[in-house]
Amino acid sequence: MKREEVVLPAPLPSNLGPRTSNLLGAITVLVLSATTLAAQTPPFDIEAGFRFLDLKGSGDMYRTQINERSGFLIRSLTLAGNEGTFADFYRVDVSDLGVGPSGSLRVDLGKSNLYRFTLAYRQTNAFSALPAFANPLLDQGIVPGQHTYDRERRMIDADLEFDKWSTITPFIGFSWNKYSGPGTSTYTLGGDEFLLNSSLANRDAEIRAGASFNFSKFSGQLTEGWQTFRDHETLNLAPGAGTGNSSGTILGTPISASGISRDDHASGHTPYTNAYVTSQITNRVRLIGDYVRLSANSDSNEDENAAGSFVSFAISRLFAGLTDQISGDAHNNTWRGGLRAEIGLTDKIDLFADARREHRSLEGAALINDLFLQSVNFGGLDPRDVQTVINAHNSLERDEDVVSLSGSARSLGPFAVRAGASISDQDVTVTPDLAEIVVPGASQGGRFTRRVTSLDASGTWSHSGYSAEAWWRHDSADDPILRTDFLTRDRYRLRGGWNGLGNRIRLGVTAEESTPKNDRTGFDYSAKIRQLTADAEGAPAQIVRLRLSISRFRTDTSILYRHPETFATDTSIDIESGNSAEGGIAFTLTPVSFDASVLRFTNSGSNPFTLERIALRAISRLIHEHYGLTAEWNRDTYNEASPSYGDFRGDRIGIYLHYSR
Amino acid sequence: MNFEFRSSKLERGKGASSPFFVLRSNFVRRASLALAKRKENEEGVSAGLRRHGDRLKPVRTLFVLLCFATPLFAQQPPPAPAAAPTEPPPCSTCHEEAKQFITNPHARGAVTKGEVSNDACTPCHGDGTEHALSGGDKSKITVPRGVKGANETCLLCHDTTTNRISRKNGMHANSAAVNCLTCHSIHHSDPHQAHLVARPQLDLCGMCHTQSASFRNKPYRHRLDHGGMECSSCHEPHGRPGATVRSIAMIDPLQLTSAGEAPCLGCHTEKRGPFVFPHGANAIGDCTACHEVHGSVNPKQLKRATVWQVCIECHSPIANDTIGSQPPSFHNLNDPRYRNCTTCHVAIHGSNRDPQLLK
Repeated sequence: MKREEVVLPAPLPSNLGPRTSNLLGAITVLVLSATTLAAQTPPFDIEAGFRFLDLKGSGDMYRTQINERSGFLIRSLTLAGNEGTFADFYRVDVSDLGVGPSGSLRVDLGKSNLYRFTLAYRQTNAFSALPAFANPLLDQGIVPGQHTYDRERRMIDADLEFDKWSTITPFIGFSWNKYSGPGTSTYTLGGDEFLLNSSLANRDAEIRAGASFNFSKFSGQLTEGWQTFRDHETLNLAPGAGTGNSSGTILGTPISASGISRDDHASGHTPYTNAYVTSQITNRVRLIGDYVRLSANSDSNEDENAAGSFVSFAISRLFAGLTDQISGDAHNNTWRGGLRAEIGLTDKIDLFADARREHRSLEGAALINDLFLQSVNFGGLDPRDVQTVINAHNSLERDEDVVSLSGSARSLGPFAVRAGASISDQDVTVTPDLAEIVVPGASQGGRFTRRVTSLDASGTWSHSGYSAEAWWRHDSADDPILRTDFLTRDRYRLRGGWNGLGNRIRLGVTAEESTPKNDRTGFDYSAKIRQLTADAEGAPAQIVRLRLSISRFRTDTSILYRHPETFATDTSIDIESGNSAEGGIAFTLTPVSFDASVLRFTNSGSNPFTLERIALRAISRLIHEHYGLTAEWNRDTYNEASPSYGDFRGDRIGIYLHYSR
Repeated sequence: MNFEFRSSKLERGKGASSPFFVLRSNFVRRASLALAKRKENEEGVSAGLRRHGDRLKPVRTLFVLLCFATPLFAQQPPPAPAAAPTEPPPCSTCHEEAKQFITNPHARGAVTKGEVSNDACTPCHGDGTEHALSGGDKSKITVPRGVKGANETCLLCHDTTTNRISRKNGMHANSAAVNCLTCHSIHHSDPHQAHLVARPQLDLCGMCHTQSASFRNKPYRHRLDHGGMECSSCHEPHGRPGATVRSIAMIDPLQLTSAGEAPCLGCHTEKRGPFVFPHGANAIGDCTACHEVHGSVNPKQLKRATVWQVCIECHSPIANDTIGSQPPSFHNLNDPRYRNCTTCHVAIHGSNRDPQLLK
């Protein structure tokens, strides 16, 4: 018998980029391989095609917010089945792979009582070029800001478990995360800030192994893992950026750079242990214990060279060059353990008691070796090179103990209720470095404690299509650790809903409010965050589905702060006031299906803008029973009140071929 | 006639176990043997005939015919009376959902040659014999619905309890208002969602958790349901209510990493550290000290519209014993140059090189 041959697809056009081509080819091979696993032809669904972009306005803002570009795209792919040679179940899902900006591939396959394998691949194009962010030159109309990036993040998570034995299930896993690409950044040196070009490559990998166990009354899992990372960034003075951001002089000296280069390396490893055990003591009592420990260590090195005309107030000199070498190491030891008891008083009423502790200690040290070249004092005298060596240390220790007690009663007819209380004790000790240019004292280092007491209650009711829910939580603390910590906070949520006419109509309304506060002198921190949403969905006929949602939210926060230039106090106020309305309709006129939606969101307050979105989608089965065409149009319009550097309108038109069997 | 049976299926080894094939093979074998005997007999008979002349020819002929014809023309036994049906027809005979069950994880082990057997249906719907034989009487079949259906069907197998998950006691479990069948649909799940979820997660969760609508409505957000991320990327839908999984700052059941870290670090690994000089807000609290994770109207998903507001609300020395009220920077906030703190304090998530996070 002639063996079936797997034919690989022809190489894809090069304008898609080698990585995209390789990935799409890999997907095709994977799909075909999956097909050969099956004794029968498995059901298969794919939608793939091309997306066109027509953009007006700020491309930087469009890409920062949406980032859907022109290119080839696999919108969706699903292959699933329960019959095969090497696997008796499998599922492959692909979503938005190709030109992105985000896409994923998931594989889940296995054979009963033998193994299960899962693989998740995700990719994201991370882009940021905001007009106003980190932009001291905005008033001059220069956009975007000086912190931008256009980077790719690719992630893989793979796990394999062996199901051959009923009491022990060993597993191994691997994760990988790469974040890399160009960007821009700034560097403050010698009295001015300079724009730098950056090239970043971060790689993070993890291997893990362990086993789940199930012995009669005891079950649990133990995982041992090891994370490693390697970071490398090179930065160089951007062309034309030698004059810096500031046009003025310092002590009559113009500040400029003829060259800045920096090479940063960091690497580290973190072994960890993660374990839990559950024990069914009796039919109604269960105990759960868990423990996590990780011990992270990192090393870093930096080499920097700069040439130009600079000033340093630290050494009270002007200088023409700098050589900087820094080596550092950091440690983070964290462990967290807890014990929980779950008691079933009756079939419907449970009590829960929980106690846990977390300990975290951070420690860092760096040797900073600077050589200031061709320096003179502020009088222009005493020319010499000056070397400084700083040995900086700092440490932080944080402990948190939490004890909680709660109870719930479920399935009491149409009712379910829950209530709980908890106490959290936080203890933070900070040891700052005396070599830092800061004001020493209790406002820096020292020991800080905080006790937070919480009460919460919730109840739901559901009957004959009607439902209601109420939730309330009250937190109170004795002291803040950070200035923005609350002393009291109340949160409420009310929800109501109705399903009727044979589930053809659904109505819902939700109201939420949160009010954190700290009214002590010197803080006067107050915030009120509210949201009200009503939505409706209905299918008045078999072929039509309507949806509508309106939402209103408002945030008012204020807190006292001190102006650094005058030491006068003032109030920081932030207001967000947003309204959104969206609606959509979906209907089917065989063989065509339509889906249309519109959204309008307006925000006023500290950052006023308007966002509008229109989406249309038509799916046709006109070609053949198995083939169809999908056409899509999406328009996003963004308008800021002032200034308008970030306004854009982006139209995306997608044409996709759809095949299913 | 050549009765050597040529069967491509037999050669390929497929279908040889088919009862029909066995019957056909036996029949052909018997016919072949009969013919072979006929040839032998013919030769023997021919010799005898040559010896005894033509007087036995009619007898021989009749004998041969009888030998050959008997297997072919032997009177078939009368057909047995049709037995009353004891096995129900396949559920897919009437129910389209059963035909489509071929891709459902609950059909594992119950699919043969693309056909789903009734073994896939009975664990949840019970024995359907009476239902089928009665012509589809709905009172003779179980249809799991609501909390009762979830308790008596789903939780019989899926009652998982770990340190973070409790499907029976979790916040989304086991009440009339919300239970397994609120989010999962066995027969009508979204074809592109795993775990039999009824709709794309943003739509599904957004029916009750309206704050998740922020992901659609606000300009700076994690892109959900567009490949790459879903609600369950960060949240554990089967977790226990109010469970403190990391710190009091994160009380919601969250999807921790395998090392027990906050879900943010599952993707944003470069923020993990450890850093020689950590940023206090991150080291003592977590990412939510500065960022609004559920979509924000502010760039970088910050909690305030401007960067300096985020920073100055902590870094204000107002003679109070809190961390971060130092250092007393002398920057003039009226100067636009100093209203973007991160223009200089670039390494805001932590630095290995500078205690003031300048690089």
